[in-house]
Amino acid sequence: MDWVAVGLKEDVPPGMVIPSRISDTELALWCTPSGRYHAWSDRCPHRGMRLSHGFVRGDTLACIYHGWQYNEAGSCEYIPAHPKLTPPDTICVPTYACAEAGGVIWVSLAGTDMPLPVLGGRVPIRSLQISLSAPDLAAHFGAHSFTTIAVVSDHEALLAVQPCTDRTCMVHALAAPDADRKVVSRWLEDLRATLEGVPS
Amino acid sequence: MNAAIDNHWYPVAMISGIDAPRETLLLGKKISLGREDGTCWVLDASGAELPTVERFGHLWTSPGQPNRDLFTIPEADSPGRRLVDVGSVKVKCSPLRAVENFLDIAHFPFVHTDILGAEPHTEVDRYDVKIREEVDEVWATKVKFYQPQAAKSAAGGITTEYMYRVPAPTCSVLYKTCPPRPGEWDVITLFVQPLTEEWCEVWPWMALYDDESTMSEMVSFQQLIFMQDRSILENQLPRKLPLDPGMEVPTQADMTSVAYRRWLKKIGYTYGAQLVAA
Repeated sequence: MDWVAVGLKEDVPPGMVIPSRISDTELALWCTPSGRYHAWSDRCPHRGMRLSHGFVRGDTLACIYHGWQYNEAGSCEYIPAHPKLTPPDTICVPTYACAEAGGVIWVSLAGTDMPLPVLGGRVPIRSLQISLSAPDLAAHFGAHSFTTIAVVSDHEALLAVQPCTDRTCMVHALAAPDADRKVVSRWLEDLRATLEGVPS
Repeated sequence: MNAAIDNHWYPVAMISGIDAPRETLLLGKKISLGREDGTCWVLDASGAELPTVERFGHLWTSPGQPNRDLFTIPEADSPGRRLVDVGSVKVKCSPLRAVENFLDIAHFPFVHTDILGAEPHTEVDRYDVKIREEVDEVWATKVKFYQPQAAKSAAGGITTEYMYRVPAPTCSVLYKTCPPRPGEWDVITLFVQPLTEEWCEVWPWMALYDDESTMSEMVSFQQLIFMQDRSILENQLPRKLPLDPGMEVPTQADMTSVAYRRWLKKIGYTYGAQLVAA
């Protein structure tokens, strides 16, 4: 599978974890204090608690329920209830390929050899939820893939589409560095109204 | 009908809270309840009368034919205790997850930070767990944990001793060191009404020695604790409790939960449980 945008860099500052998703796969998206991004299955293997409710401590993500700490490879390296125990290698969280490029965080669930999307120097403007499935949104623009959709005629915008549910997706929009952010933002809201069939 | 599930007593209301007749759910089925001339009644969806017991400030019923009486808590009858109806909290999780969380101490420093636990006091020492065959209950004893504020009545941090008891699939009784009377046990219970397999109403109840705190202070303390638990319970995946090993990873600190799951499996209690086949 291709790279999918799951959030903007500015929404996940160092030391932060947030929930995200690609269709039915729920993700815990987090950033180490030194700025490395990770996308993991949003479930602690101990008791099934969502890791996106956890906290970043050093270069680990800790579960909020019992404080189990997972290193950047997703392996459990500390169990507070048993401080002297070295946790077995078998306790680990499923991890996904994750990288930041152009201010956008990208995830590939199946892993990929594809290079990260080329953004042509555009900068992130904002993320917007739209009540339309990702394939339907791509079809609106006549695009086959929804990794990125170029809308050159309007502010040289580039839309990176994140499939969420059968009826919703998240659009992460980028535009030329010299574009007026307010104008682009307004254009996006109009676009959403059109796509959702609401008179703007 | 499933006797292994239906033939138990379930809490369905706090007696002091029954003013007018009302409907609720028990095991996914509609029931109605009320009180007339000081006596509580419960009807099933067809209008048939269900058996009732009034105990521990709560109304209990059963959709089946319970083969034993509702459990008792003899310690709670000793004089001088304050009996505290905490009220109810509805939680979107399996009733079994709610009970299991109540049996867990390792989460105290992270979920009840600076109240029931605090880093760096996170270690859980070995304790004893047993399924007491003669009474068919799960018991954990000699459980010890350092607590900054063990109860409303505690003046500072103490190492608290706990005993846990599971006398029914959706109920647990906790006996814990009483801060003002170290030789006695405070009694804190969690009575869980299974509304559906993934939705429950939790009725905590307490029998405490505490001559200082007001009733509302004791209620608020316990409600705060349970609100913190709810933020966990509504975010565990899956919502049902996995009974078979493999989906979750227990450690030595989880011996009570391991015994609880094993006991549920042994008695065939699958309501709110996730089995491998499911």
